[in-house]
Amino acid sequence: MDTLPPILVVDDNHDNAEIIRQYLEVRGYPITVAYSGDEALAVFEQVKPALVLLDVMMPGRDGWETCRLMKQHPTLGRKIRIVMVTALDEWSDKREALQTGADDYVEKPFDLPKLALTVQRNLAMLTAAS
Amino acid sequence: MNHSTLLTDTNDPLVVEAVAQLDSWRAVVVPSREIARAIGHDRGLRAVYVTAESPPTLREIVECAHAKGLPVIVGCKDDAARRRAIELRAEEWLRLPTDAEEIAGRVRSAVMRQLPGDAPNGDRAERAEQAQMLYDFMTGLPTLPVMIERMRPQIKERGELVVVYFNFVRYSKIEEIYGWEKLDAVLETTAAGVKEFLDGHSMQASRVMVSYTNDDDFIFFHVPPAGEARASEQQITTLVGRLQEHVAQRIEVAHGEDIAALFEIYVGLARVYYNPKLRIERLIYRGIREAATAAKSVEERERARRVDDLRTSLRDRAVYVDYHPIVVATTQQIFGYEALARGVMRSLRSPEVMFDVAAEADMIWELSRLCRSRAIEGIETRLGPGELLFINVDPHDFADPAFTEAEVKDPSRVVIEITERTAIKDYPKFRERLKAFRALGYRFAVDDAGSGYAGLGSIANLEPDFIKLDISLINAIDSNFIKQNLVESMVKFANDHGAQVIAEGVERSEEFETVKALGVHLVQGFFLHRPITAPTSGVIAVSPGA
Repeated sequence: MDTLPPILVVDDNHDNAEIIRQYLEVRGYPITVAYSGDEALAVFEQVKPALVLLDVMMPGRDGWETCRLMKQHPTLGRKIRIVMVTALDEWSDKREALQTGADDYVEKPFDLPKLALTVQRNLAMLTAAS
Repeated sequence: MNHSTLLTDTNDPLVVEAVAQLDSWRAVVVPSREIARAIGHDRGLRAVYVTAESPPTLREIVECAHAKGLPVIVGCKDDAARRRAIELRAEEWLRLPTDAEEIAGRVRSAVMRQLPGDAPNGDRAERAEQAQMLYDFMTGLPTLPVMIERMRPQIKERGELVVVYFNFVRYSKIEEIYGWEKLDAVLETTAAGVKEFLDGHSMQASRVMVSYTNDDDFIFFHVPPAGEARASEQQITTLVGRLQEHVAQRIEVAHGEDIAALFEIYVGLARVYYNPKLRIERLIYRGIREAATAAKSVEERERARRVDDLRTSLRDRAVYVDYHPIVVATTQQIFGYEALARGVMRSLRSPEVMFDVAAEADMIWELSRLCRSRAIEGIETRLGPGELLFINVDPHDFADPAFTEAEVKDPSRVVIEITERTAIKDYPKFRERLKAFRALGYRFAVDDAGSGYAGLGSIANLEPDFIKLDISLINAIDSNFIKQNLVESMVKFANDHGAQVIAEGVERSEEFETVKALGVHLVQGFFLHRPITAPTSGVIAVSPGA
């Protein structure tokens, strides 16, 4: 039974996506995977994710653009947390991330326990808000 | 007679029942593993209904079907199966157990969906994008293309249309200072205010819209309802005046005086008369341009009046100083005050507005001199022992020959705030000037630190004693981990360089707790204290923190 909030994993690398899926699914999160920004936007309204794990470097619509569009969704935009999967090394990268509406980020290559913690702390913000 | 075929992997008698409800359909049942191969063999094949649970099998089926342009309906035993169906972008899914009606319905709508194009997948994203362009996501107001279609018959019928153009001038400034989240919130308040006002008004038949999505101008169409006289110029002017007041009030209540002061509406009117020889779109666009130009000229008149106000203020030294307390994060003890120079005249109350006007009228140095001297007057008379005075100095002011190190008796009481927003052209020379000030005991703060993309390097260049974080980094910092990360690195940087970090714009207890936990040294903001208008004489009395 799904008791934990749904998560949408977006990564053009199928292996990465599968690793994240398995790791989080074992922890009880309902996971949906999309392999591009466009795919993610196409399933966005059906999945109604509480949290999106969004890879930045993807061919076509990249993570920033996808993030911006999701955050602009009239009803779901305000309710989601978006975690960018990327290394934001520079100050300017992080400013850029803020500009798109992202809430958090995990560095790539990520260690999975850290990823799970990041997911947890962001979902905790959602429960706190509601 | 040609039959449409539904290919399926289930023997469920409900499928047979469902097919019977569809017009000239038949079901062909094959095992899951063979479905993919079966696709392409039946020329009447119109849809695939699968209940297979194995993810690879399901993936293969969906991919094969989509390659042939066939829609897929997935029967899902649990949520995991449902998620897989969505993920694979099956046209339809349903939860099992189900009934024949639902299966028939899903098949029908899956086929319908598949009909027009062979690119069903991009379709939804595209539609979402289109919807975004037709309605402004922030305000929920329709955009121009939508409105033209809606108004077309009314304009023809009544023969005329009034276009009112609202130009919201300082909105971009709000974004610059407070960040886009704040501007979004202000826009929302504005739109709500406008709607609320019109709902309670006789002109509610009029339509409001935005000119471009995400932009800060609003357009408003008024077509007099059938059987009513059109509104006179006077009526519209009165209405607009009241609307301005209403919106301004709403913004002040929701976002405070400082933001309300940054906000102005200029309004222009134009009338468009229907002419069957001309396209309505063109007429309307022309009307909008005309109204926008009219709004612009109102704005220019208003600006000219402000420049006059500023001249008068400079002559009469009509500037006063508000003192905004800066406290120690851990103890909440007063550490010092930021001097905020404000015009006595209402039109020049906001320091940002006042300096903008001065920039337009080439009176920056003169205004800066007046503001500085007003602020410095307060050091001995207004400040308690040991408290510091933070004054804002534009980097350009250092080029003013009248701005000298000798301006203050006790420079160790003064912190000069220099904004990161203004680009400094001649760095070596600028640093020479700073050195001379520093030698006398003045201290320096970088204001709006982290507002740009420049990062820590440019801050290091100024060797500041204080780093004042940009307000946009503090706003809602409690729920944004990227902001927290940025502030944390700034604190570390400051500690390494012997500087102290000030968080300004702290408005909520959550923000206060977060910045404190991140190690920020000093805090300023409405949550602790509002700016204090000092009494005409004597030391400022500050009540303990909120």
